[in-house]
Amino acid sequence: MISMQQLMLRYPTGKVALSGISLDILQGQFVYLTGESGAGKSSLLRMFYGGLRPTSGKLSVQNTDMRKAGEGEVRAIRRRTGIVFQDHRLLFSRTVFENIALPLRVQGWSKERLIPRVRKVLEFVRLEDRLWSYPEALSGGEQQRIAIARAMMTTPPIVLADEPTGNLDEDTARHVLDLLMGLNQLGTTVIMATHDLHLLQSHPGRVIQLHAGALVEDSHAT
Amino acid sequence: MQPENVRIHLPGGMSMPPFGVHQYLALMIVAVALWALGSVWMGLQATEQWVGTWQQQMVLHVYLPKEHKTRLEALKTDLQSIDGVASVDDVPRDASARWMQQWLGNTALDVQSMADKLPETLVVHLQQNERSHFTADDVRDIAERAQASINQDEIRLLDMRDLLDNVAILAWFVTVILGLAMALIVSNTLRMILLARADEVHLMRLMGAKEWFVRMPFILEGLVLGAGAGALAWVLLWPWVWGSSAWLAGSGVSLEAWILFVPLLLGGALLGCAGAMLATARLVSPDSVESA
Repeated sequence: MISMQQLMLRYPTGKVALSGISLDILQGQFVYLTGESGAGKSSLLRMFYGGLRPTSGKLSVQNTDMRKAGEGEVRAIRRRTGIVFQDHRLLFSRTVFENIALPLRVQGWSKERLIPRVRKVLEFVRLEDRLWSYPEALSGGEQQRIAIARAMMTTPPIVLADEPTGNLDEDTARHVLDLLMGLNQLGTTVIMATHDLHLLQSHPGRVIQLHAGALVEDSHAT
Repeated sequence: MQPENVRIHLPGGMSMPPFGVHQYLALMIVAVALWALGSVWMGLQATEQWVGTWQQQMVLHVYLPKEHKTRLEALKTDLQSIDGVASVDDVPRDASARWMQQWLGNTALDVQSMADKLPETLVVHLQQNERSHFTADDVRDIAERAQASINQDEIRLLDMRDLLDNVAILAWFVTVILGLAMALIVSNTLRMILLARADEVHLMRLMGAKEWFVRMPFILEGLVLGAGAGALAWVLLWPWVWGSSAWLAGSGVSLEAWILFVPLLLGGALLGCAGAMLATARLVSPDSVESA
C-alpha cells in the first residue's frame, strides 16, 4: 500500500521535516503516527496524498512513485484517499449532504446518484437524520463524524486522519475512533496522526513514533 | 426524499452559485460602463446618419467672375463630365435677386442691381458615395482652371466625414479602455468571492478535482455577470432613444438601438469571461497539485 525508503523532506526554508524514514504500511493496517508537535506527522501524511513531494528517498503510495507522479497521477491518488482533519474542514455554508457528497461530486456523480449513497454513508456514522442540516447545528463530535463520512464516501482503500480526536472530549474521541476502527475492519487502511496515546489501550494498532523528523519506534517492526 | 424547502447547490463543474451582493454591485458598475459605451456608439450612429442625410443633398457652388462669362458653358460641360456629379445648374440672376430680397427682409433696396454684380454661379449636385471628397477635389481643379472659385464652407462640410472617422477611432479607443476596466472590475469581484470560497476550492483539490471543474463556476459567474450587465445596459439605452427621437427626427436621424443588443450582450459576456480568467489565473491552494 505505502512503501518508503530513506525518505527525506526539506522545506524551502531549509528546515528538515523528515529524514531517513524507511517503512512499509500494508493494506488493511491501522497505523498510529505519534510524536511531539513538529515531529513530522502531518508532513508525512501530506506526502501520502501529494500535498508535499519528497526531497529525496523513495515513496510509493498505491503503486505510484510520489516523487515522479504527474498531476493526473496525484489527482488519481487523491480520489482513492479519504482525508480527515483535526478541524474537520467542513463547509459551513453547505448542508451535510453537500459536504459529504463532495468527493464523488468532483468525480462527476449526479445529484440523483449521490443522495442514496450519502444516506448509506450517514447510516454508518449514525447521523442519517442530519442529511439536510448545516454543520453549525451539529456538535463537535457530530461534525467530526460527518468528516469521517465524507472521507469514506468513495470507499477509498486508505484513510488519512490528522489528529481527528484532537479537539474532542474522551468519550467522543473514543466514538470517533470506533468509527475509524469500523472502517479498518471493512478492509480500509487507516493512518492516524495523534497525541492521544491513551486511546491505544482501547483501540490497539501499529504505532509509528517520530521524533524531530526521524523514525524512533515502529511497534510493527519490533 | 429531498425536502421541498431545501435547494441543493453542489459546488464545482457547471453549477453556478447564487448571486450575492458583490455580484449585483459589480453587475451594476459594469452595466453603467457598458451603457456609457452604448451611448457613445449610438451618438456616432446618429452623427453618421445626420451627415449621410446632409450628403444626399450635397451641393457645391462654383463662382465664375463676370469677365470670364464666355467660359460658363464650357465650365458647365466640364463639371458635368466629372464622375460623381449628378447635375450642374445655372442660378438665374432674377432668382438670386429674389433670394437676396427675402434674405434682406424684403428690403426696399435695389436688389436687382446688387444681384447683377454677383459672379456667374453654378450649382453642382454631387452623388452620395464614399468618393464625394475626391469629386469635390475634381470640381475645385476644373473651377480653378477656368479661373472660377468654389464655396470653401461647403468643402469644409465634406471634411466632416474625415472627422467622423477620427471620432470612430476614438470611440474604439474608449471601448478598449473601458473594456479593460470592466474586465478588472469583474476580476476583482470574483477574486473576493474566490477568497471567500478558498476552503471549498482547497477541499475540491484535495479530493482530486480537475482544474476546469474547480474554475468553471467562476468562469460561468463572470460570463453571466457580463452578459447580464450587457442586457441591462441595452435596456438603459432606451430612455435616450425615446427622449431624443422627436428632436433627432427633425435632422432626419432615427436611432436604431436594436442593433446594439447583440454587441452589448456578447461584449459583456466576453469581458466577464476575461475577468474570470484573470481572477482564476493564479488560484493556488496550499495542497494543490501545482504547489506541491
